[in-house]
Amino acid sequence: MSALKDTAEEILGFARDAGADDAVVEVFDHRTNQVRYSNSRIDASNWWSLTHAHVFVAVGKRTLSTDLLDMSSSKASVESLVRNARLSPENSEYTGIASGKFKYRKSRADPRIVAMRSPTKHVHDAISAATREGAAEVGGTLFIRHRMAGIASSGGALAEDESAALELSVRAFSQPEASGHALCCTHKLSGLDARMTGSRAGQMAMLAKDPVPGEVGKTDLIMEPMFLGELMNATTMMLSAFLVEVGMSMFAKKIGKKVASEEVTMADDPTMPSFSQKAFDHEGVPTRRTTLIDKGVLKTYLHDTSTAKRFKTKTTGNSGPFAPLGLDQPGVPLAFHPAVEPGDWSVEEMIADTKDGLYLNNTWYTRFQSYSMGDFSTIPRDAILKVKDGRIVGAVKNIRVSENMLSLWKSIDALSKSTEDVYWWDEVAPPSTLPTARARGMNITRSS
Amino acid sequence: MIDEDLVESVLDVAMSQGRPILAEVRAETIESSDVAVKSGVVSSIVTSRDAGMNVRVVLPTGIGFAASNGLSKAVGAELAKRAYMLARNVRLKHRVEMAPEPPVRTDWEVRQDKPLADVSIEEQAGFLKRVDSAVAKSKVKVEGRFFEVRTTQTHGRFANSDGSRISSYLPRVRVDSALVVTSKGESEQSMREFGGTGGWELVDGWDLEKALVDEVRMLKNVIDKGKAVKPGKYDLVCGPEVAGIAAHESCGHPMEADRILGREMSQAGKSFVKPEMINFRIGSEYATVVDDPTIPGSYGYYAYDQEGVRARPRYLYKEGLINEFLTNRETAATLGCLSNASSRSETYIKEPIVRMANTHVAAGDFEDDEIFGSVKEGVLMHSFTEWNIDDKRYNQKYVSREAYFIEDGELGLPAKRCALEITTPGFWGSLDAVSKTVKHNAAECGKGDPMQSAAVFTGGPMMRLRGVYLK
Repeated sequence: MSALKDTAEEILGFARDAGADDAVVEVFDHRTNQVRYSNSRIDASNWWSLTHAHVFVAVGKRTLSTDLLDMSSSKASVESLVRNARLSPENSEYTGIASGKFKYRKSRADPRIVAMRSPTKHVHDAISAATREGAAEVGGTLFIRHRMAGIASSGGALAEDESAALELSVRAFSQPEASGHALCCTHKLSGLDARMTGSRAGQMAMLAKDPVPGEVGKTDLIMEPMFLGELMNATTMMLSAFLVEVGMSMFAKKIGKKVASEEVTMADDPTMPSFSQKAFDHEGVPTRRTTLIDKGVLKTYLHDTSTAKRFKTKTTGNSGPFAPLGLDQPGVPLAFHPAVEPGDWSVEEMIADTKDGLYLNNTWYTRFQSYSMGDFSTIPRDAILKVKDGRIVGAVKNIRVSENMLSLWKSIDALSKSTEDVYWWDEVAPPSTLPTARARGMNITRSS
Repeated sequence: MIDEDLVESVLDVAMSQGRPILAEVRAETIESSDVAVKSGVVSSIVTSRDAGMNVRVVLPTGIGFAASNGLSKAVGAELAKRAYMLARNVRLKHRVEMAPEPPVRTDWEVRQDKPLADVSIEEQAGFLKRVDSAVAKSKVKVEGRFFEVRTTQTHGRFANSDGSRISSYLPRVRVDSALVVTSKGESEQSMREFGGTGGWELVDGWDLEKALVDEVRMLKNVIDKGKAVKPGKYDLVCGPEVAGIAAHESCGHPMEADRILGREMSQAGKSFVKPEMINFRIGSEYATVVDDPTIPGSYGYYAYDQEGVRARPRYLYKEGLINEFLTNRETAATLGCLSNASSRSETYIKEPIVRMANTHVAAGDFEDDEIFGSVKEGVLMHSFTEWNIDDKRYNQKYVSREAYFIEDGELGLPAKRCALEITTPGFWGSLDAVSKTVKHNAAECGKGDPMQSAAVFTGGPMMRLRGVYLK
């Protein structure tokens, strides 16, 4: 694996020899195997591999990046990059890259995940388990990921990193409009329990049977980790200093102010053993746990070196990629593994303590009419269960949560003591560790 | 250009593995640039060259897809073997079938008056700075200003075991803007996208220095003079942007055959539309929605899809009836029809799936001003901010960015964040007039797992919905 670090160092040398004042080179080797299934059978088995390098160079304040996908001509490509950087317009906000003597944690991927060749058995196990619970149709994905990265920078970064992950998503339908969704996201093969995940999805699908149209008005929401994970997607995005700068964040000018209830402590923690553990950010700064919201009070935004200098603070080790990586914008600080601290409730106690509310399995399509104010709506999906006088009394459908995101975080009054690692599709992202949460008096709307 | 022999040799390896029903090889090179300006400062510049390929092997008992960057016979042979192995390991009990297609041998390309390759990074940054400067000088307080221009030039070479051999060249350009206007302690946001296939002449034609100054002035007017709508039933006139998002969300997506058949059930979801619902009434006689990849210069343009099927317009809803699903070869075989060329993928690294291209409400025969001239009490919703729809594509919400009250056929003051929350039959069933002029907007459509972004147009004419509930 040190080959990637060596390659990064070699490319860094090309950049410096060509005249770059600053440079960061991050070499990636990603291999992914995916089994897609629907209607209780496998649709396709997909595999893809990408070996490439993100190269950032600065000549004075003239900066330029590339995603180097043809590694065989890296010397010529980097020389051309530095030449073109000299011709590029100045980035007057550029204040340099992170520099120092960095120490990195050692990381190692589970070799049993890396060696997996035929994962279809786990998919069949999940389908069977959901079907045994009463599901009529089961669909989802199983991802097997192996990610390696090496980084070298003119600021002194030199490191390598490796992780592996299994991500099983199971959505089960008991009726055309009754479904349940469950996930199993793990960094160890021993952590994959396909049968339990399938059973859980099947059980939720059965609880969701015979849904009736939901009622409009205020009600309490008990939100499972998947539901909360979808809200974390937008919440952590708006904690990026970049979004604050462009006026697209409800957290602007709120450092030191109350942005959530006292129950809520939120951190970005890529250091915890998880399926998205990460040793360094895309500048090469060692990652660390950063408390973002402490007992409801906003402590910091997510920073890289440049945004930190503009905000007169220090980087939080959240530099985003220098070239587009998936849907991530280049040069935007981002969260790697958000986590909400658990509370002291059991989920059963939360339900028993709720007089009139909804128990929510999952949601999607969260969209904002105002990022700066936090006004949004989201569409609950999968099991939407009616809670009355401390008991689940049936299922509902066709509702929308139309709310304000700050109000929602301020209305949380209970968090479960158990947490779950969640990551699903493009919605419950980035990978997160979250409890179940209850928010009081949230607004429900639906089609007229 | 891509070496044709390379693609042929990889296809030979794929065909030598067992007895596939179909084998496909796609190789691509992609030149791209991405320049961003934030509040007048060039905040990032990225230029890249990508090259890679994929192989899809269809066996009677499973489909395997393998992709990697790198263009060489060695990489291709490895992918061909891996795709076969993946397909073999699926071991389906039912037989996989693909709808038949005649072999095609052709080259196609999109021409450019001002080739993207000739527009330097400095020129692109200069263009964005001019737009930023115009907005900054608009005398409107714009709290956040962010602009980005992206260009891609994709050369492709496709070959399949049916005998198709297709080379293609597709240049595409896109400009995004994100603006937050503040006034009197309130703020309104605008996130716009402009895109097309062709050269820099498209960017010149958008006249963004004017369009985005108009946009921030409009937002200030909404803040300063806008009033909330008193909840109740009104006539609603939708502008092309709102007509387009409705066409995309509550017609295009539910008419994707893979959703109808359940393949997206755990991600984007299924559809309220079932295979037996062809000719089912979903809206009034004015509800005709077309998805047409062949519109010249459109953001979602292609001549042949990623399975080598020739593109053509698809009438999804026709005069209020469900008419034709979007299909690829696999879903067409299941439904007993032929593919209508809806197979697309973001790049070579991702599997091709059923996608929209340019989805718009078809033109009617009213003049624009006739549409709202007969409205006694209503709202004209030109554009939207927040929107969403459930995963069966039945319950949708659109909140206005720009809207105006209509009284006795005359436009009045701005309506602030007017919300329409309505079912799909409720929307299309309320339609009673459609104007003559169709306008399009560029958008990115997200679907698939891993997520794939597809360049699309949405659009439509002005259209009138009678007696819908607004709040």
